[in-house]
Amino acid sequence: MSKIKLKLNGVDREVEADPEMPLLWAIRDLLGLPGTKYGCGQALCGACTIHLDDQPIRSCVTPISRAEGKSVTTIEGLSPNGDHPLQKAWIEFGVPQCGFCQTGQIMTAAALLKAIPKPTDKDIEQSLSGNLCRCGTYTRIRSAIKQVAGIKETT
Amino acid sequence: MTEPRLITRRDFLGNSVLVGVQLSAFGLLLGTRVSRAATPLDSNENPAMGFTPNVFVHISPTGEVTIVCHRSEMGQGIRSSMPVLIADELGVDMKQVKVVQGDGDKKYGDQNTDGSTSIRNGYENMRLMGATARTMLITAAADLWKVSPASCKTEHGFVLHHDTGRKTSFGSLAEAAAKLPVPKKEDVTYRPTSELKNVGTNLPLLDAPAYVTGTAAYGADISIPGMLIAVIARPPVVGGKIKSYNVDKALKVPGVKKVVEMPPATLPYAFQAWGGLAVVADNTWAALKGRAQLEIEWDEGANASYNSDEFRKELSLSVSKPGKVIRKTGDVEKTLANASKRVEAEYHVPHLPHVPMEPIACIAHIHDGRCDIWASTQNPQAAQKEAARVLGMPEEKIHVHVTFLGGAFGRKSKADFISEATFLAKKMDAPVRVQWSREDDIQQDYYNTVSTQLLTAGLDEHGKVTAWRHRTAFPPIGSIFSASDDQPDAGDLQQGVLDLPLSIPNVQGESCKAPAHVRIGWLRSVYNIFHSFATNSFMDELAHTQGKDMRETMLELIGPPRLASLEELGIPALKNYGSPLDKHPVDAGRLRHVIEEVTRISHWKGHKAEGRTLGLAAHRSFLSYVAAVVSMKKHPDGKVYVDEVWTVIDAGKIINRDRVRSQMEGAVLFGMSIAYYGAITMKDGKTEQSNFDTLKLVRMKDAPRKIHVEIVESELAPGGVGEPGVPPVAPAIINAVFALTGQRVRTLPLSSTGLV
Amino acid sequence: MRALAIIFLLGLLTAQAAEVAEVSALKDPSAFDGITNKVERSRALFREAGKVIQSPRCLVCHPNGDTPAQGDDLHPHYPAVVRGPHNDGVVGMKCTTCHQDHNLDLARVPGAPGWHLAPLSMAWVGKNLHSICEQIKDPKRNGNKSMDQLIEHFAHDKLVGWGWHPGSNRTPAPGTQERMGALIAAWIATGAECPPEHSKETK
Repeated sequence: MSKIKLKLNGVDREVEADPEMPLLWAIRDLLGLPGTKYGCGQALCGACTIHLDDQPIRSCVTPISRAEGKSVTTIEGLSPNGDHPLQKAWIEFGVPQCGFCQTGQIMTAAALLKAIPKPTDKDIEQSLSGNLCRCGTYTRIRSAIKQVAGIKETT
Repeated sequence: MTEPRLITRRDFLGNSVLVGVQLSAFGLLLGTRVSRAATPLDSNENPAMGFTPNVFVHISPTGEVTIVCHRSEMGQGIRSSMPVLIADELGVDMKQVKVVQGDGDKKYGDQNTDGSTSIRNGYENMRLMGATARTMLITAAADLWKVSPASCKTEHGFVLHHDTGRKTSFGSLAEAAAKLPVPKKEDVTYRPTSELKNVGTNLPLLDAPAYVTGTAAYGADISIPGMLIAVIARPPVVGGKIKSYNVDKALKVPGVKKVVEMPPATLPYAFQAWGGLAVVADNTWAALKGRAQLEIEWDEGANASYNSDEFRKELSLSVSKPGKVIRKTGDVEKTLANASKRVEAEYHVPHLPHVPMEPIACIAHIHDGRCDIWASTQNPQAAQKEAARVLGMPEEKIHVHVTFLGGAFGRKSKADFISEATFLAKKMDAPVRVQWSREDDIQQDYYNTVSTQLLTAGLDEHGKVTAWRHRTAFPPIGSIFSASDDQPDAGDLQQGVLDLPLSIPNVQGESCKAPAHVRIGWLRSVYNIFHSFATNSFMDELAHTQGKDMRETMLELIGPPRLASLEELGIPALKNYGSPLDKHPVDAGRLRHVIEEVTRISHWKGHKAEGRTLGLAAHRSFLSYVAAVVSMKKHPDGKVYVDEVWTVIDAGKIINRDRVRSQMEGAVLFGMSIAYYGAITMKDGKTEQSNFDTLKLVRMKDAPRKIHVEIVESELAPGGVGEPGVPPVAPAIINAVFALTGQRVRTLPLSSTGLV
Repeated sequence: MRALAIIFLLGLLTAQAAEVAEVSALKDPSAFDGITNKVERSRALFREAGKVIQSPRCLVCHPNGDTPAQGDDLHPHYPAVVRGPHNDGVVGMKCTTCHQDHNLDLARVPGAPGWHLAPLSMAWVGKNLHSICEQIKDPKRNGNKSMDQLIEHFAHDKLVGWGWHPGSNRTPAPGTQERMGALIAAWIATGAECPPEHSKETK
């Protein structure tokens, strides 16, 4: 067991945990934020995506020790009022179906648009392909990202 | 009762969020709150508390309208649809409505959200609920104003008097309405359908704000003080039992409290828990680590000899011989024997897993003589019943709270996980959350059954099909209820074998034997998946043999628009998805229509000459009709991909156009995963796949460039929407693959050919 | 007589076992001392090092294209990832989005410090030992490494070292990193000669 200090959604937190405990479980079980989801535990589905110092990571395989002294952002901290442009676009396009994968999708998309404000279809494909959606909302995710990026879709 | 930390206590944060652009003339976001608090429908006793004409509608004295959604939300959009029907009938805007999820309670009727039944079975009743409330509010207003009820109407949460223009709010009438007797069904007036303003239009996704902020609570998101978390090591082979075990290492993992032996399952398995060893800890990581430290020796049992490769041969053998004739017209055997040409093909689809994005998780809390369960369950009544059985408590003491479901597709209607949670909560004398890992989800699933089908057609000297024989062998769902059930029956074959209208004089449908070695369940559209795969692939093969176009052959084989009678179909009865045949006939005209529409919007005519490689398929399932066209192309490395898809659905009356569209889009991707990767295979009784590397799903990079959805305008009785989009997709892909490569794939998945 | 036969058989078995162990292991540089011709000895040393270089554990991260491979059969990395502008993936799918600085047992994800792809100039897949050898020696293609830095890279780099401790049930590279370092050092000491053109092809 170790005491790990990190900044969670802008707030300094300290948590006592097995340093190998994946951030996902620390965030959900110890730090009380359930918006980040468990989908596979092997970095294969992206449902657990959060930002570590602004970079997307799969929290289900990232040991909490890696977050020592760093800044962690979960879906709960992406925007103060759920009004990140991507969140608004997701609502407008009716993107989610069951919704389970969507927090991970949004966290990845947010990082994509920060790094590449006008991504090509290829960029979107390459960056989002780590995020699975069993309900099949990919085409709407793509449209929502392009809308926020100000890219006109060809019909 | 200890209040659980309910994630969704936060007020919906969305007054500032505009939804306008793509959606209807609403403009404003639906002001809804997702709440798990006790519903205001608990008490009818005190009129001052508000007006509760039935268990689905409540109006408070302050005018807040609460509508209960009694069916589970798993992404099909039921919460965004059913309440709208009630609200429209009642005369209130959705932004004035609070939607509450109904607990498991018999008063709501059957809550089993399965078989695409919610809207098709509930439509009339839900209208009645809204209409009853409206009738009573109008009566109360009419009494107040001393006018005739006929001169009043409701809109925007007000009752209006037509002649004078006076109006009064629902809230102000609530107490008076609560004192009125509830009218009989015959005395309730309905709005003309044209006055259901929102039904049938594009409507917002009610819970979108909760989804995108991570505040929607799923099975694993409910926490209760003192809660423990259990992860269970279940027998790898169905029917296996623990022989011996050592838990010393597991108990040493910090956080692990106890290791508990689960009761073994006994035949017939039905929806019993699976047995095994549960590691109970104070956090999930510890439980997972603890389980990895268990040393267990299994007595694998009889199914340890089950190997998919060998079973495939068994199925082939089964369909190579005559089976039990379930459908018969004319004399197929004689016609085949005398046919100028005979075309025959064998199709195989392996077991398919559900793989919802949310692995199973649920929590049971026993206290004060009751049990509270929070679960992402499709079937709250089954959950109640199983919990009552495990705990030896009356069902009324079991309170099942339905969370959001992160996908289900049929997996979460079983109460096996409820059984596990309640058993452990009792053993540990503490709230227990059972968490399934992804490996558990893939390896201990109620798989869609494995099937082999033999399609045989006889053609005359003009190339016309004069005989059609369809043999199908698959372990039926009935096998989980009776271990000796090893042959599909008419109720099984209704899904795509018996209800296929064919204008062929000699038709035969036979069921062949196939014993089960796993727990068989049902996956989104169930037997239709493989029956449609075979019939649509075979029609394409026939078209090729005839030198004709698939569209032409399909329409010819289906025949002219007509309602196919039982006599024509050659069957004594049709289960028809629980609906009477006169309400939902086998309508060849509607099947033709979706084929004609989808080929129109995809510019099918002349596509070959243009160098486009398309595949077509169509299928009737769950009382709806769907046709799909898939355009496939090749990557430079020779692998094929889906470029564009057109899909048309005729589901009769619909409620939320955008949710119907999203279901169809989703079904395309779902069908693609089946076609590309869908396979659960067993070796020595154990599932070979375990996570998303061995059980692949299609990803963003596989998504079609464009999916076109057309919804047929209809006033006919509603059919299903959640499932019917799936069956045509895989065969349309396979038919397109043939057009593109000349390779006929008769065994799924495509990945085994190297083409994807 | 029977005792002798048993001893003989045992001896045979042990020799066979030793040979098997020797084949799957990596020879020590001293095993090549018998080759008197310095050029030939140098080449032989490199060929021995080639057992590591062309092993799946190393080839997976030295692809000749945009995607790493995975597994002993070198199938494309799943989920699909691409090289990206800095050999470490693209946003949302960087190597370190998933890979940690150490192997993870439960999650089966391999890891080592600085997980990333070797640049294209250091691609080994589909090349023969001759080409790889020339590449490794060339400062323009080996990341501007001097001979000493090359030895350091092979002998001590942690990511390189992962090849011998890949975790889960992955087949390690033959031998040990220490021995590999010694082989490279010996190869350099003998003139860093490359095997001729027609050496064994890699996949």
